[in-house]
Amino acid sequence: MLALQILIDGFAISSLYALGATGFTLIFGVSGVLNLSHGAIMVVAAVIAWWVAGTFGAGAYLGALAGVAAALACAFFTYSVIVRPIQNSGAIPKEEKEIFVLTGTLLWGIMLQEAVAYLFTDNPKTVRPLVDGVVMILGVRTPWNEILTAALSWGAIGLLYLLVNRTRTGKSLLAASMNPRGLTLLGFEMSNIYVLVWAIYGILAGIAGVLLGAFLGVSSANAGTLTASAFSIVVLGGLGSVSGSLIAAYVVGYLETMTAYLVSPSIRTVPVLLLLVLVVYLRPQGLLGRR
Amino acid sequence: MRITHKIGIASAAFGLAFAAPAARAADPIKIGVIAETSAISGVGIPNAAKMAAEEINAKGGVNGRMIEIVDYDDHSSAADAVRAFQRAAQQDKVAAVIASYISEVVLALEPWAGRLKMPLITPGAASNEITKRVHDDYDHMKYVFHGYLASTQLSDVVCEAGKALMVNDLKMKTAVIMSEDAAWTIPLDEEYVKCLPASGLKVLDHIRLSPDTTDFTPIFNKIEGEKPDVIVTGISHVGVQPTVQWQQQQVPMPMYGIASQATNATFWKDTNGAADGVIFNMVAAPDVAVTAKTIPFAKAYKEKYGSLPGYAAYQSYDEVFMWAEAIRKAGGTDPDKMVEAMEKTDYVGTIGRIEFLPKDNTFAHGMKIGEGYITGLMVQWQNGNPVTIWPANVATGKMVFPAFTKLPQ
Amino acid sequence: MIRSRTFQLAVPALIVMALLPLGVDGYILGLLTLAYYYAVFAMSWDLLFGFAGEVNFGPSFLIGIGAYTAALLNHYWLWPIPACLVAGAFAAVIAGAVLAVPALRLTGPYFGLVTLVAVLLLQNMIVLFAGITGGEIGLDLPDVLSIDDNTNYYYALVFMTVSGAILFGLAQSPVGLILQASGQNATEAAALGFNVAKHKLAAFCISAFFSGLAGAMLIFYMGTASVGTVVDIAVGVNVIIAAVLGGRRTIIGAALGAIFLIGAGEILRPLGQLATFVVSAVALVVILFFPGGFMGRILQSGGRE
Repeated sequence: MLALQILIDGFAISSLYALGATGFTLIFGVSGVLNLSHGAIMVVAAVIAWWVAGTFGAGAYLGALAGVAAALACAFFTYSVIVRPIQNSGAIPKEEKEIFVLTGTLLWGIMLQEAVAYLFTDNPKTVRPLVDGVVMILGVRTPWNEILTAALSWGAIGLLYLLVNRTRTGKSLLAASMNPRGLTLLGFEMSNIYVLVWAIYGILAGIAGVLLGAFLGVSSANAGTLTASAFSIVVLGGLGSVSGSLIAAYVVGYLETMTAYLVSPSIRTVPVLLLLVLVVYLRPQGLLGRR
Repeated sequence: MRITHKIGIASAAFGLAFAAPAARAADPIKIGVIAETSAISGVGIPNAAKMAAEEINAKGGVNGRMIEIVDYDDHSSAADAVRAFQRAAQQDKVAAVIASYISEVVLALEPWAGRLKMPLITPGAASNEITKRVHDDYDHMKYVFHGYLASTQLSDVVCEAGKALMVNDLKMKTAVIMSEDAAWTIPLDEEYVKCLPASGLKVLDHIRLSPDTTDFTPIFNKIEGEKPDVIVTGISHVGVQPTVQWQQQQVPMPMYGIASQATNATFWKDTNGAADGVIFNMVAAPDVAVTAKTIPFAKAYKEKYGSLPGYAAYQSYDEVFMWAEAIRKAGGTDPDKMVEAMEKTDYVGTIGRIEFLPKDNTFAHGMKIGEGYITGLMVQWQNGNPVTIWPANVATGKMVFPAFTKLPQ
Repeated sequence: MIRSRTFQLAVPALIVMALLPLGVDGYILGLLTLAYYYAVFAMSWDLLFGFAGEVNFGPSFLIGIGAYTAALLNHYWLWPIPACLVAGAFAAVIAGAVLAVPALRLTGPYFGLVTLVAVLLLQNMIVLFAGITGGEIGLDLPDVLSIDDNTNYYYALVFMTVSGAILFGLAQSPVGLILQASGQNATEAAALGFNVAKHKLAAFCISAFFSGLAGAMLIFYMGTASVGTVVDIAVGVNVIIAAVLGGRRTIIGAALGAIFLIGAGEILRPLGQLATFVVSAVALVVILFFPGGFMGRILQSGGRE
């Protein structure tokens, strides 16, 4: 009974982690950027969805759409105002671009977080779920919303998979993550690919944010934790490896859920942190990373 | 004058130039207010204080001097609050400070109140430690007053009401305590463990959760597995998230106890209505005439700021009047005389009749509770409105629970 | 050249700082006292990043270890302040070495992640063992450095000046140059016969020493040690922003950045919640348009290069 409960609850939260981390790792794979405003963008999506659905009475679907659109806008802004100028800058030495991108996106994340706190207070908000009610799965009472969260997460990841493997644009994206130089030689414009990957990222982060808002509720104060958890999952899975991130998301999700059930909810994140240190020391390329 | 300050700080900060301290008119009496304004429980503190100051000033002020509220945003951080407190005392020369609803912040300020001899009162922090320090080291800490109930006192109110509501009305026998890991819940939980059984509720388990928790599913499942009749809460940093997940997962037992976020008027909207049926403690509520001042204050507040006041706003409003009264009696802003005058407070505010306990009491400078003084209320969210359900003589409604709640037969 | 230019700027600035208590009131001094401790955090960080090329995401791990060691010794065993400071600094060095020995094999984001995780673990431990550490409440200290603003100010100023001089001297010395070389191209530096790992470890330990010491000083100034003041990720973030803003690889720039950051936060206080937003926006603009930071700008306009 307990095992089944852990299985079901862990699955939903892990799917959400997976969705959140997929976009994050995709960007790293293609452009080598670690976007530290990730958590803040998810928060923006959730809060905008809450605001549009609640204040304008626009309903859950329109709200969710507005949330995803807001995340997309933020992602584009992150790329065009912060990441691209730094990457193209002649004044920053090459080996220091990484720290500048990190600091820049970090600052941008703080700005987003503070703006949300200022406009909407830092009280947690919950997005109205698309479906209400519960269903019994083998004796475990499960909210429909939890099932929907998992299903939508996997739906989005599935679409991404189709896009990457079945379309020409998608294939160029995959190629870019493996060998950017080769792709340029073949005549592809890298900047187009970057725009595409940031657009995909924005949509994925937006969906993840809205779903998180509906499933658990989100406050502007969570932005840092969300970034840190995406970062950990991605490193655990191997930087740039999407399938590695998916597996890592489940490892993290289940480890947390098991700790909360079997040990104590107050040390939920500790085993994950220890595992992370261990993996980084013993196998720094992560579970499925390439060196 | 503000501009001189700015330039002063700017130039000093860069170490480029000197800035003479700006000249100050002696006219208004300043009261500092330190709280985080982007937190819902926090924003009511300066708002309500400003209302009180306006009312006092409209009647001619104190000894002919106007009251001016100087507010500082501490981002709920102890370090920021200490800086704000130093600024209030040393730069802005306030006469007294009203600070924060977070115990961690107030406890960090307390030694500074002693060091800088700056009278301090908190409108919303609950830790027992606040008054214990006054009791243990009166000579240094006497500048600190506790304008809200201590955790132990809060538990006692919850237990007393629990006996009437949960045990007598609903025939409940068992409970699980669910509280967050924080300073103020340590004495709260200790008292719960003692007083709940005395009220007739056997404590089956005692779960403490990290204030950073976002996924409460495992906690609710664990509680449900233990089959208690009711979940007794002690939460403040968390609130919206557990409530929403409780409703979504249709956890069949009611949530009852202390839930600070639930005291805010926006709680219903923040939770999309998941709050329906949640029972929480307040010292004053907008629908109950705890005293003749309660309802007019709540109404005026809503008119001015667009929403009902959160729990700390009531105390903050009263505290400005109490400081003003203390200054009037002390004949000025000498801190020692103000403390002496404040100790003799007998004031009927929005939350009841307020008197402070003497220095030999364990809750030295805490408020006197009980019949005729501060009693506390239990309030339930019903259909978008907070409805007072206890004590019976002021109740405005009966308990109603959502359909998924299973009450003992 | 850099040395003389920096020297020309630093000496008059220090004289002005030393004379400040004659002219400004206690509150501004209190603010600067805090800023000077942050300056030491930022300078220590710059030694590690600017010279050894390692991005330490967890400066507050080292700061926190130093601060909490000192706080526990003072709170429970009533050790005198100087003994607590020494113990705090050495505890930070030991913790730093334990963290660094395996972590320095890693590069780039991996090193960053390990340092970040170290902070999260420390924070969890402090909250988990709340009975001893005071948890989120923090520990109050029986002793403070002083309650007099001027005295506190001079403690901080002298401490910052001495630490700054040592760190700056170290960065300009042959050791600093080796560090810089290994930060930019480790393979090349190793090929030239330098023990890169040993030098980086030394840099980490020195950085840890000053971070820990400054953390311990800070809590004896504040009178309490709490997670929010010395351990929280936000503290580390501020340190990093200060160092990058001031101009990395200059040491002194980091101090300038820290003073700016604390000063700006305070000047903008009337904006309330928006203050942090504005400070971050200003920092972002500086990073995008003047990547050399304040100090880079000053040194450049002075005709260097």
